Amino acid sequence: MLDWLPENVSVFGEGVDHLFTLIYYISVAIFILVNVIYVAFIIRYRRKRKGDRAYYYHGNNLLEFSWTALPFVLFLFLAFYSDGIWESIKYSDKTPNPDLVVEVMGQTYMWHFRYPGSDGIFGRREARFMGTTNPFGIDPDDPNGKDDYTTINNLTIPVNKTVLVHLSSMDVIHSFFLPNMRVKQDAVPGQWVDVWFNSVKTGKYEIACAELCGSGHYLMRAVLEVKSQSAFDGWLDEQYGGLLAALNAPSAVPATAPAAQDQSAPAASPTH
Amino acid sequence: MEAVLSTEKHALAGGHAHSESFIRHYIFSTDHKMIAKQFMFTAIFFLFIGGAFALFIRWQLAYPGQPIPLIGKLLPSTWVNGQGAVTAEWYTQLLTMHGTIMIFAVIIPLLVGTFGNFAIPLMIGADDMAFPFLNMVSFWLFPLAGIIMMSGFFMEGGMAAAGWTSYPPLSAIASTGQTLWIVALFLIGFSSILGGVNYITTILNMRAPGMKMFDMPMTVWAVFITAIIITIGTPVLASALSMLFMDNFLSTSFFMPAHLTVATRDMSRTAGGGQPLLWQHLFWFYSHPAVYIMILPGMGVVSDVLATFSRKPLYGYKAMVFAIIAIAFLGIIVWGHHMFQSGMNPLLGTTFMVSTMVIAVPSAIKTFNWLGTMWRGKMEFVTPMLNAVAFVSMFVIGGLSGIFMASTPVDVFIHDTYFIVGHIHYVLFGGSLFAIFAGLHYWFPKMSGRMYNERLGKLHFWITFISFNCTFFPMHILGIGGMMRRIYDPTVYDFLKPFQPMNEFITISAIVLGFAQFILVYNLLHSWFYGKKAKRNPWRANTLEWQAPSPPPHGNFDTELRVYRGPYEYSSPDSVQDYLPQTVSPEELQEQNERHRQRLAQQEHAQPVA
Repeated sequence: MLDWLPENVSVFGEGVDHLFTLIYYISVAIFILVNVIYVAFIIRYRRKRKGDRAYYYHGNNLLEFSWTALPFVLFLFLAFYSDGIWESIKYSDKTPNPDLVVEVMGQTYMWHFRYPGSDGIFGRREARFMGTTNPFGIDPDDPNGKDDYTTINNLTIPVNKTVLVHLSSMDVIHSFFLPNMRVKQDAVPGQWVDVWFNSVKTGKYEIACAELCGSGHYLMRAVLEVKSQSAFDGWLDEQYGGLLAALNAPSAVPATAPAAQDQSAPAASPTH
Repeated sequence: MEAVLSTEKHALAGGHAHSESFIRHYIFSTDHKMIAKQFMFTAIFFLFIGGAFALFIRWQLAYPGQPIPLIGKLLPSTWVNGQGAVTAEWYTQLLTMHGTIMIFAVIIPLLVGTFGNFAIPLMIGADDMAFPFLNMVSFWLFPLAGIIMMSGFFMEGGMAAAGWTSYPPLSAIASTGQTLWIVALFLIGFSSILGGVNYITTILNMRAPGMKMFDMPMTVWAVFITAIIITIGTPVLASALSMLFMDNFLSTSFFMPAHLTVATRDMSRTAGGGQPLLWQHLFWFYSHPAVYIMILPGMGVVSDVLATFSRKPLYGYKAMVFAIIAIAFLGIIVWGHHMFQSGMNPLLGTTFMVSTMVIAVPSAIKTFNWLGTMWRGKMEFVTPMLNAVAFVSMFVIGGLSGIFMASTPVDVFIHDTYFIVGHIHYVLFGGSLFAIFAGLHYWFPKMSGRMYNERLGKLHFWITFISFNCTFFPMHILGIGGMMRRIYDPTVYDFLKPFQPMNEFITISAIVLGFAQFILVYNLLHSWFYGKKAKRNPWRANTLEWQAPSPPPHGNFDTELRVYRGPYEYSSPDSVQDYLPQTVSPEELQEQNERHRQRLAQQEHAQPVA
């Protein structure tokens, strides 16, 4: 049954999948054990003749104790084993040093991605600047923000590099779901959450929204492109060149309404 | 002799019924049995509405964008497009209303409203509830709430569409249907609280003489503990709903952060500073225990049915009671496991994972004790027993799939996927609803005074059992494949396209499952009027309700009751019969045994002659 899992390409995904497999086999074992006994009882202990009498028996404390203690030990073991992996995925003090930081903003029904630009520094953002033309709320007066660039529904990252995502939403709750990375994290308005992952394989993968955000929820799909470092650098330069050209133009054209843009095509939209 | 007694009482019952006006007897009744029936028929009505909604959802998932067969063109234009296919807007309303109706208007009213009302006074030997008037109010709030909730249909924007969990900000910026949903849920909560207070008082104060707490049947124990959870949890839901109502209606900011960019609504009046996660904490503080509200009474019913039809004492009665208490207690401190990916501090994820893993223990205890009850029993597979046996097996699957979600790293992947949908349906349908089927058939003779049709009962069970598993088991596989809940069209995603044949299979099974329920309704309704007359104690059961006439008149019992023993003395060596009712005094028992021996002796004498 676990063959149905989407291909895992993330570093910690392997641990998650191992745990998944472990719990799967434990569950199947318990299920078979209980149901074999169950079916055997159903066949063996049915009333065949009138006047058949059942065994008059109220229970056994030793048995009660053992089938309390054994599951207790088993489930506590699972809890602590799981916790090791959970901590390594989610605890902020266990997050590895990122090679790339990206900000992700959910908006009904699209994903915005923001890269820090050539200076490697994000421009200051404030919630009061947030709006459909400035989803991240970048402070227009901060020079660091001038070269930040954003894409819609396309996240491009280099392979084998730790990517740290600052995640939030500008309207309702969304959930940032990368099936192949074994990543899922709700994007909550008014709150920034960190998510990290590291892809070991290049390719195109899908990003979905996993939290109901309105009737267009199912359309909130983005593409994750994992590129080799050199291809990623090339892509970066290309985007950056386009952005510079737009900045240097006499009057920067405001970004078109984001909804009109293509679902999967990488799109650079100047911020202002 | 039994027959004589029951005819006498029938005459009495008839007299009672005639002394009341029609309205007093059938509509604004304060009799717990009539209220139970009212809950039952209203909830079964909603079962079909919720079920129809589920089938529309399933149709859309299997055949996205294709017209609904036969009735597609007849549906209003706010629901379907020109071709008669479900629209995305209606789809989100459907999934919201399906969840809300099934939980609040079907499962809880059937388990708590119907069985609680019907069984508690009869099983503890009381003539009615402690507060009959409160009981009537508790019922009438429920259809009122149902009407309010469904009336969203007439509003602009339709019914509520933020999911049954209604997370703000989505639910706080929604249409009028959402406001009606909030009001309706508030009323249903109020109805629950009234019922809960009534159950607790009745059970504590009105037990028949001689009945100790540990002489109560598991159904009564389970409803008792459930009522305590209700009175603890529901006020929290009510307060959360009040806040959501104010955010929605008066632009307050309990759950709303500042500077939201929302196209549909002017947010300038909303000050901000609220926390969307606060709703989730408050909502799940009620709604996780609500899962136990929906399963504990089922466990109680199943325990009684299993013991009765295994002709054996319930294995580990006290352990079963303590397991219920443990589930209730732990159930209040595990709500955070719904929020592992919500952005809550991951350290809380660790603590909630540990408490969630621990709550699997009492469930395991219950399962093993049910197995123990059947061990060396003499099982009779009538319809209630079949459903109860199915309950145990399905509950095991539902419990085991819960472990995946309890483990936080695995939950990262399966959270908000169809794995969860599969899990919840194994618990709420495979668990609660099968327990409800068991209970409906088990108490049907007492409720209506007639026997249901055994062949139809079995037919309904087998079709339901098979199509249930065909419908919900594959959902686990969809979840492993990553299919998200609540999406209108899975084919938008490349990685979900391979699952489309499975979606079609599920939908076909679901259609069979849905239509099989007409067998149940036909059986219940037809047997209600034309079934074979039921004896007082058709199942040869021990508990007190079987000492009352079938159906019991206003006031329930025609004999003085005194309780001498626990409810599960089946196949006791003290009695020559294989059951020993709680009310039989030691002297009566001796007499009975003597009479029985004499009859046996006569038969032996008679045999050579024959």
